[in-house]
Amino acid sequence: MYTPLRIDPAKALGDIATFQRKLAAGMGHLRGMREPEYANTPRELVYSEDKLKVWHFTGHGKATAKTPLLIVYALVNTVWMTDLQADRSMVRNLLEQGEDVYLIDWGYPDGADRWLTLEDYINGYLDRCVDAVRKRHELDAINLLGICQGGAFSLCYTALHPDKVKNLITMVTPVDFHTPDNMLSHWCRSMDVDLFVDTMGNIPAGLMNYVYLTLKPVRLNQQKYIGMVDILDNPTELENFLRMERWIFDSPDQAGETFRQFIKDFYQGNKLVKGTLEIGGKPVDLGMITQPVLNIFAEQDHLVPPDASRALGKHVGTTDYTQLAFKGGHIGIYVSGRAQREVPPAIHQWLSARD
Amino acid sequence: MADPANDFIRDYQTLAQQSWDAWTRQLQQQQPPAANPFFTPPAAPVSGNDTLERTLSGLKGYFDWMQNAAAGGAAAQPNDWRQQLQQMFGGSQPFAQAFGGIDSAGAEGFARQWQSWFQAAQHSGFGDLPGAQGPTPAFGLNREQQMQQQAMGAAVLESLQASARYQTLIQRANQQGMQRLQDKLAQHAEPGRQIDSLKALYDLWVDAAEEAYAEIALSDEFREAYAEMINTQMRVRQMQQQQTEQLCQQLGVPTRSEVSSLGERLQALRREFRATQTPSPEAHADEIAALQREVAALKRQLASGTTSKLAPKKAVRAKPAALAVKKSISKAPAKAARKTPAGKARVTAASNSRTSPRKRK
Repeated sequence: MYTPLRIDPAKALGDIATFQRKLAAGMGHLRGMREPEYANTPRELVYSEDKLKVWHFTGHGKATAKTPLLIVYALVNTVWMTDLQADRSMVRNLLEQGEDVYLIDWGYPDGADRWLTLEDYINGYLDRCVDAVRKRHELDAINLLGICQGGAFSLCYTALHPDKVKNLITMVTPVDFHTPDNMLSHWCRSMDVDLFVDTMGNIPAGLMNYVYLTLKPVRLNQQKYIGMVDILDNPTELENFLRMERWIFDSPDQAGETFRQFIKDFYQGNKLVKGTLEIGGKPVDLGMITQPVLNIFAEQDHLVPPDASRALGKHVGTTDYTQLAFKGGHIGIYVSGRAQREVPPAIHQWLSARD
Repeated sequence: MADPANDFIRDYQTLAQQSWDAWTRQLQQQQPPAANPFFTPPAAPVSGNDTLERTLSGLKGYFDWMQNAAAGGAAAQPNDWRQQLQQMFGGSQPFAQAFGGIDSAGAEGFARQWQSWFQAAQHSGFGDLPGAQGPTPAFGLNREQQMQQQAMGAAVLESLQASARYQTLIQRANQQGMQRLQDKLAQHAEPGRQIDSLKALYDLWVDAAEEAYAEIALSDEFREAYAEMINTQMRVRQMQQQQTEQLCQQLGVPTRSEVSSLGERLQALRREFRATQTPSPEAHADEIAALQREVAALKRQLASGTTSKLAPKKAVRAKPAALAVKKSISKAPAKAARKTPAGKARVTAASNSRTSPRKRK
């Protein structure tokens, strides 16, 4: 009979020595390392209001697409995930495909933004951003690409302002918040959100990050950093690792009222699919979305389970619905090598067929 | 007689410890203190950086485990691999630090906070732990403060109990992770599939631990425990805020709720202002319907060939209505934005927020 453990003690000691040596040397590599920059693809500011900014990416050549694409990111973390580094930039990749790309940087809310509601974000900020891009191109409608919570915002916006959206793309977007594998939703279902927001005001970014880390505590608190030891002697990989750390932890606080509404209506009430959601007193009916929809989700997404996104197909009113399942996770869908090869080309191909 | 092998291990461990200490010092110098994720404790923790501590303790936990496993379990080759596994994992709980980081950080900060709070209460002469023995009638001049302290004491106890229930579930996840690891290892008994490195064993444990944790984290019991932990902590925090506000009011210092209330009113005014700038489609509907009726009436008159004299009169009557519609449309933000460069839009929005309260006055 064999034993499953066949660890040679001498080899184990060698592994320990190697680990320790890499760790000791790593201190030298880390010392003096500057904060890694994002890709910073050339861009121009085209609209700003309060803390938000709408950027237009200038790219290298003239866009071939007739209709511009506006990226609507989530309020959690920052939009720079889409332009993380030169060889892992969804934005750059879309530009190279010929798309005319804009994005909304929501900024970092502070106490002055405590009372912003979903109506302020969706019917206010987002609507004025869309108008700014429409005006620049003298178009009635533009293309929207909503990411995660930004995807939920884009769905609401399209349902409420259908004339201003030509094509809608949602990426890793939660639609049905009550799928059995949705850990975030499960955790906040019994929370007293009113008490939470009344007490906290704006929700600190550190707390949000803490909750995300506890979705996979050992992997994200320990295993990840043990893996880092192996790349301490590789400046390029170390820089990439630190850039991702920067993105993960350099994140904005959440405006209290918006957080309250989003948790109550989406996470707890699941109103988007129940058809009972109201934004600014107006009903949000996904059946009103009759424009073409491309729904992209990640098969190994631990934040937005695939089934939470797949549900969209059952609720939108369009007859032109396309679904794309990506083999990867919530972040990998933007930054992995596979994502660079598969996602932006698929988006461009789908859009150009409807331009 | 000296044992060269033991001497080597001692020397190595000393060197390793020095290396860890150097890492800790180096990173502490580089990074500013980070706030505790759930609660900002009144006194800074020893190192001043909880996140760094967790990261380093995770690495250190892994390193310590490797050393213990190599010296104990891996070196011995017992017939029963489960016993060997027990030796490798039983001596220390290095992985508790990975789990520990998720439950203890918030709890410790919270404990520090309420301890500090109660120390202040004790100095004020309100006893050891007001409310801990159940409600007690209060009398006299400080009656209200005594009642508040009692309520606070009861809330803190409730919160600590909720936190303990949550931590029990985390520990259960840890134990079930070990059981799962054994199950997974049993599938690696065939030649060619055996685990031959500490790292491979660790990775297998991570898979097992995460699976066990996910199962518990998705249970109804965990959901209730999690919510109770947060809800009870929020109640304590809210009571602390209320007491702080009372103190601030006595000192004439503006309070958080006053500032927050102003912010709420200001945002409501901004929303109202925007709404007045953007007539809703319903507002146009009546005017459009009236115009449509007039146009239809004109068409009928033209078609019937009655008096050509009446037509201009009708047209004149229709004009003000048409102008009114045009005028209100031109006020819509969409159109307004078209005439306003980005920079101006920001200035306009900012000036709106500044002038609105004054106008109200």
